[in-house]
Amino acid sequence: MKKKYIYILAFLIIAILGYNSVYFKKLSDIKKVKKESFDFKAFADSIYYKGILKSKKTIALTDLIASIRANQEAAFKKHGNRLGIGNSAYFMIKSTGKIIDIKDGIYTIADKKNGVVFIDTKYIFGNDLRDASGLVKLTDFKTNAQFNKVSESLNEIVRNEIIPKETKNVKLGDSISFSGAIKLNKKQTLFTDLLIIPSQIKLQ
Amino acid sequence: MKIKHFSLVLIAFILVLGCSSKEKAEKPKIAVVVSTLNNPWFVMLAESAAENARKLGYEAKIFDSQNNPAVESDNFENLISSGYDAILLNPTDSDGSISSILKAKTAGIPVFCMDREVNVDDAATSQILSDNYSGCVAIGIEFVKELKEKGKYVEILGLVGDNNTWARSKGFHSVVDNFPNLKMVAQQSGNFDRTKAMEVLETIMQANPDIDAVFCGNDAMAMGAFQALQASGKEYKVKIFGFDGAGDVVEKIREKKIVATGMQFPKVMAKTAAQYADEYFKGRKVFPQRVPVEVELINASNIKDY
Repeated sequence: MKKKYIYILAFLIIAILGYNSVYFKKLSDIKKVKKESFDFKAFADSIYYKGILKSKKTIALTDLIASIRANQEAAFKKHGNRLGIGNSAYFMIKSTGKIIDIKDGIYTIADKKNGVVFIDTKYIFGNDLRDASGLVKLTDFKTNAQFNKVSESLNEIVRNEIIPKETKNVKLGDSISFSGAIKLNKKQTLFTDLLIIPSQIKLQ
Repeated sequence: MKIKHFSLVLIAFILVLGCSSKEKAEKPKIAVVVSTLNNPWFVMLAESAAENARKLGYEAKIFDSQNNPAVESDNFENLISSGYDAILLNPTDSDGSISSILKAKTAGIPVFCMDREVNVDDAATSQILSDNYSGCVAIGIEFVKELKEKGKYVEILGLVGDNNTWARSKGFHSVVDNFPNLKMVAQQSGNFDRTKAMEVLETIMQANPDIDAVFCGNDAMAMGAFQALQASGKEYKVKIFGFDGAGDVVEKIREKKIVATGMQFPKVMAKTAAQYADEYFKGRKVFPQRVPVEVELINASNIKDY
């Protein structure tokens, strides 16, 4: 009889210990925590302020065009960034010019040295800025989804914070200096109507 | 006794010679495991991978996983036991395919993923993937401009377990969701299948007859959507956007019946995967884990180039 109580007591102790030493969580909750543990906004902030704005990789648009005309392969390799396989590459450029038109977020610029170029202040999306900067490697992230999230955070900063602030007082006829990303294709022979995704626009 | 010893040595010598001469005589075998052979795009991917492997001097055989990770797993079991030396894989599922890849890895067989990504970066030897996200960002921008930033639209997704489905959807929404007057009235899976997409859109249009656009996760579904719209006489009112660069959709863009698609390059992915396998056999062991392949936007302005 006494033995029976000892067994019951032992069972209860084991059950209580077991219950308190194991707990279950939804797998989706754990995955969510893991995914959210990386601060993409802070990372993009640092890429922008400490990287893109201080980058020595940014090349004058005139110099880039001259360099491509002289030796396309070498210019793409030295100044461009292409992740993986494709005919195009992204470049981080800078130039100056006068605003001759503003329509639906597109600034038409009479660039002193390069003819007419366009700055798109509205559709700042995609991987142009991230890839042109050359500051983020594909291997820095485990999946393409995370890698693309860097672009989304970086674009948000530029599209919603930087460019609206910098273009607040900019008007038709103003002279500006600008920097940003352009995508050039190896099949491309003409450098007219270039579209720039801006990283910075400054009144001169 | 001496004769017995000599015989044993002789047999062993013959066996060793036999093995080495067999290694030299037999070509390495490459398996091309494809998610489905029910879709012409994947048929092209698989056949192109096999053809490139053969051109490089290897035996190549195509295995169909019928969009089913269990069938894919059986394929892997078979080809591991059949002594295949490399696998060019178009996975069925971004999570479900991982265990099969790891089995091959344990067996010392390199796996090169084509077109579809798996959710780990230490299973496959390399993954050669379309840059779906960037391609769909470009489509998203085109979509917003075409619709002049307002209207109701439907999104028809691909397979929900496939990373490409979500990479495309996320790229598209990373643009479109910033325009509050564009309202998504329905988002449903069409399984990358033409007939399924047609049925899905027909059902959606019963509740939402006034949609302005449809974004489809691939061109087969864009063609299905076109059929559904044509049947209801709305093919010129509702704007269709696809993804793949399939021949029939390129023609529809030329005829102004579909607005845009993203041109993928399955032959480039297949060729790169076969080349990587060749380099692996020749001693290269370090490969980039993910190799994005550029996607080009095709619309009315550049259709003449395609």
